Amino acid sequence: MNINKGSNLENTFDAIVIGSGISGGWAAKELSQKGLKTLVLERGRDVKHIIDYPTANLKPWEFKNGLFNTQKDVSESPIQSSNYDPGDKHFFINDSEHPYLQEKPFNWIRGYQVGGRSLTWGRQCYRLSDLDFEANLKDGHGVDWPIRYKDIAPWYDYVEKYIGVSGQRENLSQLPDGNFLPPMELNCVEKHLASSIKNGDRLLTIARVANLTKGWDNRGPCQYRNLCSRGCPFGGYFSSNSSTLPAGFATGNLTLRDFSIVTEIIYDDSTKKATGVRVIDKITKQEYEYFAKIIFLNASTIGTASILLNSKSNRFPDGLGNDSQQVGRNLMDHHSSAGAEGMHENFKDQYYRGRRPAGFLIPRYRNLNGEKSDLGFLRGYNLQGHGERQEWPDRFQNIEGFGVDFKNKLTTPGPWTVWMAGWGECLPYAENKISLNENKKDAWGQPLVNINFSFKDNEEKMMNDIQSTSAEMLEKAGFKNVSAFNYKKPGGSTVHEMGTARMGRDPKTSVLNEHNQLHDVKNVFITDGSFMTSSACQNPSLTYMAMTARACDFAYQQVKEGKI
Amino acid sequence: MNRRNAIKNVLALSALSVAGFSGYKYYSRFKKANIKEIYNYKNLIAELAETIIPQTDTPGAKQANVQDFIINIITNCSSVPEQNTFLDGLDDVQDYCQSNFQKEFVNCSSKQKIDVLQYFEEKSLYKIGILNKINQKLLGQPFFVKLKALTVIGYCNSLQGATEGLAYDYIPGAYQACIPIQPNQKSWATK
Repeated sequence: MNINKGSNLENTFDAIVIGSGISGGWAAKELSQKGLKTLVLERGRDVKHIIDYPTANLKPWEFKNGLFNTQKDVSESPIQSSNYDPGDKHFFINDSEHPYLQEKPFNWIRGYQVGGRSLTWGRQCYRLSDLDFEANLKDGHGVDWPIRYKDIAPWYDYVEKYIGVSGQRENLSQLPDGNFLPPMELNCVEKHLASSIKNGDRLLTIARVANLTKGWDNRGPCQYRNLCSRGCPFGGYFSSNSSTLPAGFATGNLTLRDFSIVTEIIYDDSTKKATGVRVIDKITKQEYEYFAKIIFLNASTIGTASILLNSKSNRFPDGLGNDSQQVGRNLMDHHSSAGAEGMHENFKDQYYRGRRPAGFLIPRYRNLNGEKSDLGFLRGYNLQGHGERQEWPDRFQNIEGFGVDFKNKLTTPGPWTVWMAGWGECLPYAENKISLNENKKDAWGQPLVNINFSFKDNEEKMMNDIQSTSAEMLEKAGFKNVSAFNYKKPGGSTVHEMGTARMGRDPKTSVLNEHNQLHDVKNVFITDGSFMTSSACQNPSLTYMAMTARACDFAYQQVKEGKI
Repeated sequence: MNRRNAIKNVLALSALSVAGFSGYKYYSRFKKANIKEIYNYKNLIAELAETIIPQTDTPGAKQANVQDFIINIITNCSSVPEQNTFLDGLDDVQDYCQSNFQKEFVNCSSKQKIDVLQYFEEKSLYKIGILNKINQKLLGQPFFVKLKALTVIGYCNSLQGATEGLAYDYIPGAYQACIPIQPNQKSWATK
């Protein structure tokens, strides 16, 4: 294989960012806006805002097979196809092209393209609090976070003001308020449930989402089509493609190279620094090297850990920055399988118009003092759900018969229902880990990722509690036919993987320091989900973005002062 | 002779027939379906769908071309056992009409069509009861359940069904959380 080193000048930048998803996009924007010549490497194809959203304006009848996946999709991509439909299929990989090994079932959902999964994310934005940052220290699971809420709070402000987050201030210590655009409104069954639940710290609020309730940064507002994952032609929600990458390009300092699979980070023991990265071109399979003063690794939790593990040198025989042997370990994902649903007989004369792309949130109400409680499990969960009138997709299987009566029922609004489920914290377990299988290679000669993950006793007990408290809340609010459920989805299904290169105070037990720097390679920064020392129960992307902006600020200062 | 009897006759001449009925049943579900044959049933599918969602003051299934949608889904988005279950179900309808009314379903009176579908709906409910989950996954939903589901989905996602049978709001532009329901309020076509 040819190694094209090119001219050093042409392949040398101030900064390299590996990955263009929600955190890589932020690194690209921040570093280029600070004046650093920045190269973003993306392993997949380019996706240009609006231009490359081919299904965004299609009506249901304009899809050949409706929104059904074909047999070919299902057999070639059994994991991804469970997460996509013909409307957003093009933003997910093909499982056959990118295989991985599962010791236990784990759904690794991926979008290898510019923008990554920021195109298809759930857009929910919640701050962590000191209840979360202190949790590991208090109950002894994992290691202590090297930061506290005060360290990240200004960066939450900074990110929220830029991306635009709609939401309602609630003045809760476990879920700090942010800088919100006007909230979306709860519908009447949700308002009813909210008034029934309200009791001190327990309340129901509208979801806090990166959907714009008014125009913002030349984007939006949201048109309430609820087709976000196809890409929004109105720029109604935040993605790398609609926001951070264009901002980076506007500086003239940003270069994007797509189809660039980073295989390893090159380390120089004489300077104790990384000098650059090695890349395989996805199409030509030719190898390239790129060099920079600083490297931001934002390849997503599992991708980032596998690049570190694959970056072997005399100094780091087990992978770059892996003296602690923690790289790849402590993999976490939120569970979101347990909850309850029910039907309400009132409000028959009320309806709604528009498709709100967000539900409601019942912030965490368990173990709020952070100490061990008599509930039988540690940490907590929030409930996410939505109220609606049953429409034809919910009704047709329960309406017997056919003909005129059937059609009349099918085409009129049914009773109000609420569905809600617990998004729950997963403890960091050393044995939940990813590793590389050197005997099995992908089409680019890279070792396959092996994932060994399961939820354990604490998560199972928490799911039981979610079922009972959510059913209780619905019953108290007068819902009928309340049924608690547990879908028992495998790990990965919530698409919140994190933790494989955790931050910590001690280089012996953690991979990154309080600035998201590799403890022993100070010019490598990791700010995707892999830095998460604990998972908390909040949807994590906002925290990745805030920590990225914070780390970029620190990295730039260090470069300016000549320290790295 | 219909499609299934032709297969049976071929099988009778082959060694496979010694495997008996269960062997036939297995073979008939997992053999590669000659799915192109489904186009021969287009009129039948259209009439069945129209009986489920008839034309009223709004278009029915036939006008919404649900038959084309169903053919697409069975052809492109269904497993081989599901395809065979569906084709066999169509044959069952033909057989039932021949033996009870001595004519094809499409030529039956409205009353007869309703009787036929009632018979198959009851049969499918009985089948769901006895089929365990694994069987359902392997063989697909019973014929009538699948037919009804595809008719509904095809209709509600069609131009005519979504915009006339239901209320379709292409670009709402705003969200109104609580509004009084209107007389003859139609359900929203999309969520």
